[in-house]
Amino acid sequence: MLILFTFHLSLFTAYAVEPPQRIISLAPATTEMLFALGLGDRIVGVTNFCDYPEEAKKKPKVGGMSNPSLEAVVSLKPDIVVMSVDGNPKEFEERLRSMKIKTYVFYSKRISELPKGIRDMGLALGVKEKAEVMAADMEHRINKLRENKKTSLKKKVLFIIWPEPLIVAGPGSITDDALQILGADNIAARTASNYPKYSIEEVIRRSPDIIFIGKGQNSMNEVSEGLLRRLKSTPAARNNKVFYVSDYLYRLGPRTLKGVEELAGYLRR
Amino acid sequence: MKNMKIRAALIISVPIIIFGLSLIAGPRMINPFAADDISREILFSIRAPRGVVALLMGMALGASGAVLQGILKNPLADPYILGISSGASLAAVLGIMLGAAFLGSFTIPVLAFSGALITGAMVGIMGWKRGGLWPERLLLAGVGLSFFFSALLMLVMSISSDEGLRKAMLWIFGDLSMSEWSKIPYGLAFVLPGILISLFRAKALNALILGDEFAHSLGFSPHRERFILFVAVGLLTAASVSLGGMIGFIGLLVPHIIRSIIGSDSRLLVPFSALGGGGLLCIADLISRSVLAPTELPAGIVTAIIGSPYFLYLLRRKNVLSI
Repeated sequence: MLILFTFHLSLFTAYAVEPPQRIISLAPATTEMLFALGLGDRIVGVTNFCDYPEEAKKKPKVGGMSNPSLEAVVSLKPDIVVMSVDGNPKEFEERLRSMKIKTYVFYSKRISELPKGIRDMGLALGVKEKAEVMAADMEHRINKLRENKKTSLKKKVLFIIWPEPLIVAGPGSITDDALQILGADNIAARTASNYPKYSIEEVIRRSPDIIFIGKGQNSMNEVSEGLLRRLKSTPAARNNKVFYVSDYLYRLGPRTLKGVEELAGYLRR
Repeated sequence: MKNMKIRAALIISVPIIIFGLSLIAGPRMINPFAADDISREILFSIRAPRGVVALLMGMALGASGAVLQGILKNPLADPYILGISSGASLAAVLGIMLGAAFLGSFTIPVLAFSGALITGAMVGIMGWKRGGLWPERLLLAGVGLSFFFSALLMLVMSISSDEGLRKAMLWIFGDLSMSEWSKIPYGLAFVLPGILISLFRAKALNALILGDEFAHSLGFSPHRERFILFVAVGLLTAASVSLGGMIGFIGLLVPHIIRSIIGSDSRLLVPFSALGGGGLLCIADLISRSVLAPTELPAGIVTAIIGSPYFLYLLRRKNVLSI
């Protein structure tokens, strides 16, 4: 274990000495992070789902997140392949390493781990200072958001990912994490999976004070009509506390905190 | 004969009891005589329409399975073998992935229904030769189209994002959670005629099972009867898929189970398969929304898990398994 750890450390230092010039990113979140760290020009490949920022869409594609093409990755001759522990298969990383291709796995899964993850990534990619600035800013914002706890405490919240069938943000999701930071009570916090298919009658019974609907690519107003009609007796619907929010919380990256701040704004109302 | 009456009474009463149970049981029990406002709302606008849709869908699947096994003269036939469900799934999943919402919450059911009808018509056209529908041709055309649409479905799903994939999967595995009163009249408008046609042509179905020549000698036109029954099956399958996605097992195995209880006279088999299918789906849905509450499981998985062992038990006990 110790040997492995030191091996890792020596890898990091190796990167720090010679910053990688050709980077492939295998997750939308890491792509956003790389652009935010000013490494956009060095990205030579992204996944089909990397859609932010706008420049990311113009980069060569290497396939999906769970099924990237090994051939496409290898043929782009990357100095390093940046992956995410959340969504990329571990086997793919092992495969790359066995082919002597360097990898960096972004391991943060929670918002509180985000600053540390960014510092680590900055170290590995030779942009330590920039990463430090970003991480420090995030830490500051997280601490500020935690102060919100008093205002939003005890408010019962439901975050809807998709209305038909009803899929909500459950434990382990970034959204649930955000609600915890804000001190709100996610009514779906104790379920079996992170994005469970949720019982409509339980929503009615648990009577959320606020309902958030994540927008994603398309506007959700029409798709949500039927569901909201059925939830009309909940306090959230009666008091006009149903809000359509951005999809910032669907990815753990530079925009995540904007998403948390957006929720905080609605909770404060 | 008396024994038969008891069995028939059993098959009729069990779905009714199950429906009643599905109203009061669930993630939490509701006493209908002492319900507060929230419980009453859950009872009438969530559980009741859902129970009715489960009954309707199960009835459509059970009846169409019984009819189809007869007209195709194949104990392995089920409403999904004709590819109708694959066509419906493809249309619905495309709609889900593209976020189509031109008809509000009716969008996906309407897409599924159109997909089912178009596929049904295609199977019918390919199964048509020399002035009529031929069982083997229908079956093979159905299997062929089914493979084709399934492949397209997989193609769409394999290039979609994880989020879209999950939504599509949940729909394909069967989802009754969006059942509303407003959807029931439309479902009824197709399920009822489908079942009525099957019932009125049950005698002809009996004749068809015995062979075309035999049917002819009894005064039935085999081609005409097969066509009418095929249309009924198409309506039933299309309606069920659009009500709640694909629920496996019921169309294939419920007719076999009913046959083992009541015999293979289509005049009894068709209505009782309908009742059996309705009852089974109703209880499967009750289980699927209760065991892991508040998380819901796809009902299609539950029907297969509770139904398959019983079917296999029957298979071991009976000497022959015919249509």
